[in-house]
Amino acid sequence: MTLSSFFKAELLTLFRRKQSIFNALIFFVMVVTLFPLGVDPSPDFLAPAAGGIIWCAIALAILMSVESLFKEDYNDGSLEQWLVSGHSVSVLVLLKVFAQWLMVVIPLVLALPFLSKMLFLASELIPVMLVSVLVGSPALFLIGAIGAALTVSLRGGAVLMLLLILPLYIPVIIFATGAVRAAQLEMPFTGQLAILGAISLLALAISPLMAAISIKASVS
Amino acid sequence: MQAVTTLCVENLWLERGDRDLCRGLSFSLQGGQVARIIGENGAGKSSLLKYLVGTLSAVEGSVAFNGEDISAHRDVLIQDLLYIGHTPGVKSVFTVAENLKLYAPHSSNQELEYALTQVSLDAYWDTPAAQLSAGQKRRVALARLWLTQKPVWLLDEPFTALDVSGVEVLEQRIKDHVITGGIVVLTTHQPLHSLNPVTIELAS
Amino acid sequence: MNWTWFHKLGSPKWFFQWADRWGKVCFWFGTVLLIVGVIWGLGFAPQDYQQGNSFRIIYIHVPAAVLAQSCYLAMGIAGFVALVWQMKLAPVFIKAVAPVGAVMAFISLVSGAIWGKPTWGTWWVWDARLTSVLVLFLLYMGVIAIQNTLDDLQLADKAVAVISIVGVINLPIIKYSVEWWNTLHQPATFKLTEKPAMPVEMWLPLLFSALGLYLFAAGVSMWRMQNEVLVRERRANWVKEEVMKRGV
Ligand SMILES: Nc1ncnc2c1ncn2[C@@H]1O[C@H](COP(=O)(O)OP(=O)(O)O)[C@@H](O)[C@H]1O
Ligand SMILES: [Mg+2]
Repeated sequence: MTLSSFFKAELLTLFRRKQSIFNALIFFVMVVTLFPLGVDPSPDFLAPAAGGIIWCAIALAILMSVESLFKEDYNDGSLEQWLVSGHSVSVLVLLKVFAQWLMVVIPLVLALPFLSKMLFLASELIPVMLVSVLVGSPALFLIGAIGAALTVSLRGGAVLMLLLILPLYIPVIIFATGAVRAAQLEMPFTGQLAILGAISLLALAISPLMAAISIKASVS
Repeated sequence: MQAVTTLCVENLWLERGDRDLCRGLSFSLQGGQVARIIGENGAGKSSLLKYLVGTLSAVEGSVAFNGEDISAHRDVLIQDLLYIGHTPGVKSVFTVAENLKLYAPHSSNQELEYALTQVSLDAYWDTPAAQLSAGQKRRVALARLWLTQKPVWLLDEPFTALDVSGVEVLEQRIKDHVITGGIVVLTTHQPLHSLNPVTIELAS
Repeated sequence: MNWTWFHKLGSPKWFFQWADRWGKVCFWFGTVLLIVGVIWGLGFAPQDYQQGNSFRIIYIHVPAAVLAQSCYLAMGIAGFVALVWQMKLAPVFIKAVAPVGAVMAFISLVSGAIWGKPTWGTWWVWDARLTSVLVLFLLYMGVIAIQNTLDDLQLADKAVAVISIVGVINLPIIKYSVEWWNTLHQPATFKLTEKPAMPVEMWLPLLFSALGLYLFAAGVSMWRMQNEVLVRERRANWVKEEVMKRGV
């Protein structure tokens, strides 16, 4: 197994298992549609809340898509093969998360402008929204990967995963919606985006290591 | 002239939950030998293999590869190791060929075809692994034995679910491998016909 | 520098005997301090000129909140020790402290709500402090849940260490983000603790109850650790001797 054969295999798996990517997308769209239906469809409510609604929906959709990140690899023995592949497990985790990020975030980003318009978000705010998703979502995937690795050997780990990981998502959601909010109020918003980027970088440094420790402990 | 490959375990104490799987177990293998771990179900055969590859830690004991102590880090061993566990890492979304290419990316299509012919899967090149039987899946994993240069093989119940001809072919491959100086450690409940293994017994 | 104490701490037997002695001392000394501090604070310390008597809950609220954070910090450090030095007692420590910390976070949430009623007129406000204690409480719940869900002890120990470390790294980020968010959403609620220097009669009982609660929690944690050590080392000879000696 080489790193490139591994990465190609990951992309191919995701491509073949389109269902999981679609699930995340459909979940995202459903949650966003529920808000106008459940709370208030008027632009007065939706326009200021749009950033928050979209970001909460994205966080949940991403959490759902990473929850089973290592499940199949655990069940078919691939994780065990990772450990004897001679590659650092952290690097393998990183590649896997990167592949997952690519395949899940691209559809979300494509759907984003339409959903933003449906929530009456002003057109000039959509780029800010997009940038916040691109800069902030890596942290969500990376942090989620730790939870997925910790709960991989459990049968029904989804709820536990939610409990473990959602509190850690709070800063990302706060700063991302903060950036959109600031842009709405015509205030500077690059600071929030920079903090988002910093959180993603921190997650990039720590999460593969922690996920690797968890995987090693789970496989035995 | 390359030195002989050796794998030595000394004074090993393995524990699972509250049960001792082995205590004070020592053995020493060198190139050309096949070792067979025997014991009842749950005696700890798989656990011993997992200790050797480093996914399970021991209470006490040490392991050395080519004279070098690798108790703390298995890196040196892993470079020379092929391990096929109970669940051998065959991905059901991939076809048979894709599965092999993942683990042997440098092999040519001809080599892959040769390996698949050996395990009588040459007709299944493009079949998704999800559509294979248990024995056929195991054969996909075992096909890696014809593609590898690694000297040390650790095989957990490689004969399970194989038919008679499959067992024969595999025994032959193992024989060929140890003749060239390799080491094979395997677990099995079936009698071996053409191999003459060293036995490592785990009493429970 | 003498490191023997560090290695001794790694020995469950030595720890058990040490904790046997010092755990009780901490517990009783802490209980006395806590009672003195709370009675002094609730009954005798002067009234606050703005909030009257309702501010007195500070003598419970603040120590609990501070302790809840300290416990998590300690768990994070123990998690690090567990992963890097593989010290046997570190996971035991985390397991023992997590529920204590969770209870402290819960007390500080409840007392915060009780304080909020007369002060802000509602039980719950999305105030930065309350929100971050709420998140802290959720983090504790995560640690406790994973500890109880994983059957495999080694896996559970690793998992708890990982999640404690990740939580501790996140704690300042969470706190900062919540504070920042709070100033964005809630300008101008009046501040409770930023007042020109508390008089001695007010902060001394606070110091007493905080210190008392720390010692009390340390005592309880040591006792919980002792139990856990006994369970984990149940096959060791010294445990059998210990149990025989006391005739349990
Ligand atoms: N993942 C596990 N967690 C805890 N105990 C296990 C695990 N896997 C196996 N065991 C225990 O370890 C012992 C040895 O298992 P194993 O090595 O798989 O036996 P064998 O391969 O000889 O049948 C068994 O008693 C089993 O109950
Ligand atoms: Mg077995």
